[in-house]
Amino acid sequence: MVRPIILSVDDQDEIREGLLRDLESFESYFDLYDCESAADARLVLDEAEDHGVPVALIISDHVMPEETGVQFLTRLLEENRFLDTKKLLLTGLATHSDTIKAINEAKIDNYVAKPWDHLGLQTIVSTLITHFIFDTDLDYRQFGDLIDMRVVLDRSR
Amino acid sequence: MAISSGSPSVWKGRAQLFICILLPILLLQIPTASLPLFNDISVMEHRLLAIFMMAVMMWVLEPIPVFATSVLVIMLELLLVSDKGLAFLMTPEVENFGKVLSYKSIMHSFSEPIILLFLGGFFLAAAATKYRLDLNLARVLLRPFGEKPANVMLGLMGVTAIFSMFMSNTATTAMMLALLVPILKTMPLDDKGRITFALAIPFAANIGGIGTPIGTPPNAVAQKYLTGENAIAFADWMVFSVPYVVVMLLLTWIMLCRFFPISIPAIKVDINSRWQKGPQAFTVYTVFGLTIFLWIFAGLLGLGLTSHIIAMLPVTVFCATRIITPKDLKQMDWDVLWLVAGGLALGSGLKATGLSKSLVEVIPFDSMSGVMIIAVGASVAMAMSTFMSNTATAALILPIMAALGTGLPELAAMGGTQMIVIACTFACSMAMAMPISTPPNALAYATGFLSTKDMGKAGIFVGIVGLCLSFVMLFIMSQIGYFG
Repeated sequence: MVRPIILSVDDQDEIREGLLRDLESFESYFDLYDCESAADARLVLDEAEDHGVPVALIISDHVMPEETGVQFLTRLLEENRFLDTKKLLLTGLATHSDTIKAINEAKIDNYVAKPWDHLGLQTIVSTLITHFIFDTDLDYRQFGDLIDMRVVLDRSR
Repeated sequence: MAISSGSPSVWKGRAQLFICILLPILLLQIPTASLPLFNDISVMEHRLLAIFMMAVMMWVLEPIPVFATSVLVIMLELLLVSDKGLAFLMTPEVENFGKVLSYKSIMHSFSEPIILLFLGGFFLAAAATKYRLDLNLARVLLRPFGEKPANVMLGLMGVTAIFSMFMSNTATTAMMLALLVPILKTMPLDDKGRITFALAIPFAANIGGIGTPIGTPPNAVAQKYLTGENAIAFADWMVFSVPYVVVMLLLTWIMLCRFFPISIPAIKVDINSRWQKGPQAFTVYTVFGLTIFLWIFAGLLGLGLTSHIIAMLPVTVFCATRIITPKDLKQMDWDVLWLVAGGLALGSGLKATGLSKSLVEVIPFDSMSGVMIIAVGASVAMAMSTFMSNTATAALILPIMAALGTGLPELAAMGGTQMIVIACTFACSMAMAMPISTPPNALAYATGFLSTKDMGKAGIFVGIVGLCLSFVMLFIMSQIGYFG
């Protein structure tokens, strides 16, 4: 069975550590990767693509030096890559216009403000990966109780 | 941070695929004349035996998706046993080469009338879901059952069974569980009623699928062997299967309420939906009603239409009225149709080359009584479909059983092909002891309200009762002369 990737991108170490802690339970069926910059993340994505390993979810910060989260995600979309991959923007400092761009241009699937609610984030991640599982025809039965049952029932109709 | 694509389970899959390919190739290397067990089989039968062996292994181990195995079966038949197969392999001048299949008849499997009958069912289901006919019907049908938990459960089971006669068992289960899950979450943790309700839905869907020829794909595979003098029309199928479904539902209901008693005093299923009233919605209601009416009464009305032709009614009308758009069309379960197509192609091949007869001769059926053969056949079908796809089970078992039905005089006297095909087809739908047994079971298990042990206990019981009841039904049918 494949282990899809969950990738987090944030320039702050403590945020990435906190995220990994919150998403620990997902490690039973997913490979968690964390990167400190968009450039780094792109390397992981390239390698995943080379090996044919699916990327289920990208959790990205917005305000980062060099390339912002919205720029990073927009570029992926423009390159027509990782179209099934779910995108979550996790940010505390995005301006109103950044947020508009995130929705219109980067087509993010969810927006979470920092500091985040631990349980709430887990639920959102679970919902997003379940949609990913159905979008890519993976077998939901192979992901234990990490899946969102509501999505499973909805998409099995 | 190295990413690799070679986890242990990936290697296991590759090893399984390798074995599934290697063993049939080895089988082909044995000279036809010196095959053990078989005497005097032709080259064509030998090749088809290898394809059959590969299909068995691939459908059991699933190194590739089940519908992909179907496509592979068709491809291999085209290459190895068809009149337009690989030229250097197709050498009919060889002694005892056997009967070559026409490539057109193999490809025809993709568009057999039974496939189009199913497509008609898919169109009805897709339109019903799109215009919320399913939810609205559920609301209306559930109303008379009040709020007493046991009654509500009977209502839910009835609705689920009726829907799964015309829609896919999986979609029906998903819809009903989606209604039920929020309610079950409010029930006390120690209330066994949560288990009862969560099991009742998939069980009712599995059972309900038996009710019509389009209820579940194994029924479609069965139609392949119910042709000519053995043909059973849509309404004639329902004449015996619907009473069977009703009795099974009642028995399952009583059993589940005994096994896992419900302790809360009342339960209320709220369905938030309104009847849509646009012209398209009315078209859906009319065509839905008319199609089912014609399926049941076309014979009595003397219209001369077969169920396959009637199935083209929703297809045509829904396409013309844009109720089903090209996008909806793309989302139909084509993989299910192709899975059935592969099963039909395998069956055609087995029959045309004569391999099904040769296989029957290998197994010492002669020493068993007719009743024994039916009991063993149905039990094997149920055991197999507990662990693998119901449709694939039907595709493997039914061609052999059908050959038995005509081959053994004792069976022919009892009800022949019809009887044994019905027994084994029903058995394919009675496997519900494990989450992997059927997709509806998997959905119910995934809700987290029950353990595999709960499902096993209830599922084995329902399965055995179901088998016994089907034997009783067949006995009655044979006594009243149904099989003529």
